[in-house]
Amino acid sequence: MLQDYLIPETVEQALSHLQGGKGRARVVAGGTDLLLDLANGKKEAGVLVDLTRIPGLQEITLEDDLIRLGAAVTHNQVAKSKLIQEKASVLARAARSVGSLQIRNTATVVGNVVNAQPAADAAVALVALGAVAEVVSPSGKEYIPVEKLYAGVGKSVLDSTSQIVTRIQFPALLKNQGSAYERLEQRKALALPMLNVAVVVSLADNRFQWARIVMAPVGPGPVRATEAEAILTGADVSLGNIENAAAAARAQANPRSSALRGSREYRLEVLPVLVRRALEAAVVRAGGNC
Amino acid sequence: MSSKILTFTLNGETIRVVVEPTDMLADVLRDKLNLIGVKKGCGQGECGACTVIMNGDAVTSCIIPALKAEGAVVETIEGIGGPGKYHPLQESFMDLGAIQCGFCTPGMIMSAKALLDKNEQPTREEIREAISGNICRCTGYVKIEKAVSTAAEKIREGK
Amino acid sequence: MKNYNVVGQSVRRLDAAEKATGTAVFSSDFTLPGMLYGKVLRSPYAHARIVSIDTTEAEKLPGVKAVVTYKNTPREIFNTSATMTFTVPALKPVLDQYIFDSVVRYVGDEVAAVAAVSEKLAEEALKLIKVEYEELPAVFDPLEAMKPEAPDIHANCKEGKNIIGEIIKIPMGDVEKGFKECDLVIEKRFKLPIVKQVQMETQAAVAQVEVNGKITVWSTTQTPHPTRMILAKIFGVPNSKIRVLNPPYVGGGFGVRIGLSAKAEPIAVALAMQAGKPVRVIYSREEDFMASDTRHGGYVTVKLGAKKDGTFHALDLKAALNGGAYCSFSTETPGVLGAMGLAVYRIPNQSYYGHSVYTNVTPAGAMRGFGNPQAMFPIESVVDMMAEELGMDPLELRLKNIMRAGDPWCLPYPCQSTGLAECIERGAKSIGWERRGSLNQPGAKKLRGIGVGVGTHVSNSWPFCVDYDNAIVTVQQDGSIHLASGVPDIGTGTSTALPQLAAEVLGVGLEEVSLTFGDTLSTPFDIGSHASRTLYAAGTAVVAAAEDAKRQILEYAADFLKVSPERLEIKDSLIYITGRELGEDCAGTGVCKTGEERISVTLQELAYHAHLRNKQFIGVGRIVPENAPPWHAHFAEVEVDTETGQVKVIRVAAAHDVGKAINPVIVEGQIEGGVLQGVGYAVSEEIVHDAKGRPLHNSLHKYLLPTAEDIPEIDAIIVEASDPSGPFGAKGVGETGLVPTAGAIANAVYNATGVRFYEIPMTEEKVFRALSAAKNSTC
Ligand SMILES: Cc1cc2nc3c(=O)[nH]c(=O)nc-3n(C[C@@H](O)[C@@H](O)[C@H](O)COP(=O)(O)OP(=O)(O)OC[C@H]3O[C@@H](n4cnc5c(N)ncnc54)[C@H](O)[C@@H]3O)c2cc1C
Ligand code: FES
Ligand code: FES
Repeated sequence: MLQDYLIPETVEQALSHLQGGKGRARVVAGGTDLLLDLANGKKEAGVLVDLTRIPGLQEITLEDDLIRLGAAVTHNQVAKSKLIQEKASVLARAARSVGSLQIRNTATVVGNVVNAQPAADAAVALVALGAVAEVVSPSGKEYIPVEKLYAGVGKSVLDSTSQIVTRIQFPALLKNQGSAYERLEQRKALALPMLNVAVVVSLADNRFQWARIVMAPVGPGPVRATEAEAILTGADVSLGNIENAAAAARAQANPRSSALRGSREYRLEVLPVLVRRALEAAVVRAGGNC
Repeated sequence: MSSKILTFTLNGETIRVVVEPTDMLADVLRDKLNLIGVKKGCGQGECGACTVIMNGDAVTSCIIPALKAEGAVVETIEGIGGPGKYHPLQESFMDLGAIQCGFCTPGMIMSAKALLDKNEQPTREEIREAISGNICRCTGYVKIEKAVSTAAEKIREGK
Repeated sequence: MKNYNVVGQSVRRLDAAEKATGTAVFSSDFTLPGMLYGKVLRSPYAHARIVSIDTTEAEKLPGVKAVVTYKNTPREIFNTSATMTFTVPALKPVLDQYIFDSVVRYVGDEVAAVAAVSEKLAEEALKLIKVEYEELPAVFDPLEAMKPEAPDIHANCKEGKNIIGEIIKIPMGDVEKGFKECDLVIEKRFKLPIVKQVQMETQAAVAQVEVNGKITVWSTTQTPHPTRMILAKIFGVPNSKIRVLNPPYVGGGFGVRIGLSAKAEPIAVALAMQAGKPVRVIYSREEDFMASDTRHGGYVTVKLGAKKDGTFHALDLKAALNGGAYCSFSTETPGVLGAMGLAVYRIPNQSYYGHSVYTNVTPAGAMRGFGNPQAMFPIESVVDMMAEELGMDPLELRLKNIMRAGDPWCLPYPCQSTGLAECIERGAKSIGWERRGSLNQPGAKKLRGIGVGVGTHVSNSWPFCVDYDNAIVTVQQDGSIHLASGVPDIGTGTSTALPQLAAEVLGVGLEEVSLTFGDTLSTPFDIGSHASRTLYAAGTAVVAAAEDAKRQILEYAADFLKVSPERLEIKDSLIYITGRELGEDCAGTGVCKTGEERISVTLQELAYHAHLRNKQFIGVGRIVPENAPPWHAHFAEVEVDTETGQVKVIRVAAAHDVGKAINPVIVEGQIEGGVLQGVGYAVSEEIVHDAKGRPLHNSLHKYLLPTAEDIPEIDAIIVEASDPSGPFGAKGVGETGLVPTAGAIANAVYNATGVRFYEIPMTEEKVFRALSAAKNSTC
């Protein structure tokens, strides 16, 4: 049962609150996942340590072509940010598709990642952007790729009773790079995705220098379509190559059947369509054409 | 349980109220402060009936821990206008038939107000985005959307 | 057309200010001093016998004031729906529920309830109740439940295995012979989903039991008077000792609380009796989903026969509906399905055979449209198929066959009006019907289509169910008007439209009229808000009461002005002699010089004059309504993403013959809200159960009703084919907005893709599968 709710003013203070809680104190950001999990017994905590007032953590910054999002940055901040729209549009779109505006006003991008749902919208986009989490704990600071944060469905490798993600960072996209987000959803708001796909491509002379293609929920966390990425690396920008990549993505996907959000078979059939659409859109944004 | 004193600004007034760490903001507003305009349709952030404006943003108060509001500025339907000084949104909701059962209305108006406070010339898409978390089962949203754009017009004209 | 002063005006709703300021009180806001909070323990099993139940630990928890189970509550059998109060003899209502029983029949069925000093404590106490269950075999599909090997869910089925109440049969002409005489016959079976009203306020009740035994219940019911009758029976208390009222606002209904608000009222009363304190029970959204009535899903078969020239000649309709674990409205719903399904087209040979079947899912009951949408999606699909087979335009085929005023039909009252042809004409114009067929470029991946669906409905429930109404109009001593009607206002605008009627009849301004409603203590009997009846039936009583009061006023005024009452009229609260110039007059001044002839008097002066002479004008309306058919045609334009199967509804033109729109903006609101529910019914809404009978769609996040970002453009078109039986010509509109929508959308999807759907909702996966299957079969 919750005994206290603390609002520290520095990361150090937050860490010491966590330490004082001896495993019973837990980080909370927007609380849109955590409070519901506490209410229905999926998680337990005696003390909540709210990060959202710590100065600096509410900011989205660009420094040396690196975009950094503080742990208190909300989905709506990201969706409306000119910077993100221009230099990481895949994330702006992913964040825009979360829940409803009220949820986006409260819920954080970092919370979305740490909560570790396989198809968490912002997390899927962040993996495509090659994002890295800055994690602090009493033993110091470390940087972990978002892709590596998943320990299973709904399980993060992070321990939110002792570790804090302070920021997430990723390179801003360059002129020859483009990104796109595709989401198969049952309605336009308040719906978790049946499938989501995030891609980032980098082009030179209408060839793919590289591509990052991430799909979900087709595994325990966001899944890189590495075969598809390999097909595109160095290949011409063409519909044929894109379709081959889409087919390869499908071959690498392992979705489950959900009574609420589509059977495995259906998801497998539609996945390549989303991958194709996302790649086509990303190519256009990167200044290429198929 | 360790009760705490929550201090925040509610509809322009400084409020101090004793709350438990487990209390949600919606329950404190409804049960302890008698603001029954904060409705509860789900208690899970999924219907928007409990929408209030906190530090300028529309939020679903049923999933916000009350203590998170410490020092915050909170507005509810009760604080935005009334007889003789209705908010343009209240006026247009009343005049254009945007109200049926009325259960979604306070939350709907608060979501719309948070939008118009920042954007007096919203597009149709922006209006829909602003109320996308407010479920209304009665109206089909048609007259609500119209009421919001009409209120925006009135606000612009009033300047 | 006649000119009215108040009727036909889109006046601001009288409840608007309270609702726009957050001061309107709903049941879930209602509190009383010392009030306790009730919570309900529900069955985790779809079908089980309670072997033992131990509440001692829960009772010991400090702050717990009452624990109730089947062992300490009345063993009086009832039906949560108002059917038990208004079933017309010789039919008998099916009674099959107790507050709590020793057998549970669906996941969510009530097992016990607790009242405690806080909601959290009550929830904790629930966890301390120990129940041992013996699981019984369960069945979830109505066709499965009719098989001999299926478990018996109740012992009362006389007409067949698990069949609820009577099988409804409607014969007309000779169908067998009729089909033989047809050139073309199409027969198809359709599958319909279980969907939910999802009114925004969940079921709620606050009960107070006084020391003298009087009971007061504030609740979300749509039918305060019938609910009082049900509670009186359950608790063995005279009607006169129970008061049921709305506080006065209700956060929507759409049929979910015609009768009790699920079991919120009896549970609150049982807890209040035991605790000796007022108790409030508010259902969580999940409880509302799993333990309050749904719309019947099931199977409907349509067999339609036509002559070569397109004349419909025979129609056979069959329905087997999923009634769920208890009867509720399971006998009436298939009746309305059949009656409405047969009433749209003039077909000499018709028959209907339909019923509901018990299964182990949440009981199905009333939901807006009440069986009619379940009839019209299948029928309108088959009519469309018939048009294609005949090579006729779907509009032409419909116009050729639709019912006309005076036609014989299966309903026990005459068809006195229809504006359906006008609805079709105006709807077609709005959608741009002529664009149909040229909407898509070859090779397009997103395909557009346009479709139509039509239908009718009732304007109250007579003579299918008991339906009479009363109203009292009291002229106050200052000439202002008080109106009392037992009807509630669940959001449909009754509490504005009824005063509009009274004001119009009495010739006073709307601001002169106040209304008391939704309270059994201060209003005369009314059967409630259902069957699209409040304006039509309660309105007829209001008009009668106002006319009665007006007659008394004019008689008194006749004496006063020394003319015959026939020469008097009232306008703007002024009673005047018709045909006389209303010029210089001393009316209202009260200073007429002796000998001067008065030609008018204000109602204010007259009422006070009467008061000083021991007289008050009190009009009473006591009526049995006739019935009248509202008509409607919906046109939908859709876009189907053939690569994902997603159906996007782009535009709906909804033309509705409402007889007379007493308040046009309110009428439009009814149509628009109905249409969006119809869109949800067609493409996304559904409650699915897992293998154990647990509902999967049990929250607003999972249940896919449309949000503001999903809405099509909706053009609500009002058509007014006045009906002589309705107040000022009005007919019902409350339910009709979603009756033909799914049919129109399914026909539009067919128009777009060439694939016909025999099942709704047309979810992306179903559409994708069907499109793939169609592609594979053609190449
Ligand atoms: C109605 C509704 C609709 C939704 N729709 C969507 C949707 O469409 N798509 C989607 O992806 N999600 C959706 N969500 C979930 C989404 O709101 C969350 O995933 C959100 O982004 C989590 O952020 P938060 O700040 O609320 O996290 P919290 O709930 O505060 O925290 C989530 C978890 O992360 C931990 N945590 C948070 N921040 C940190 C940190 N900095 N360091 C260490 N640990 C941390 C917490 O301890 C907790 O375990 C929805 C939620 C609701 C209620
Ligand atoms: S009550 Fe808060 S969102 Fe529904
Ligand atoms: S008016 Fe009833 S839910 Fe919106």
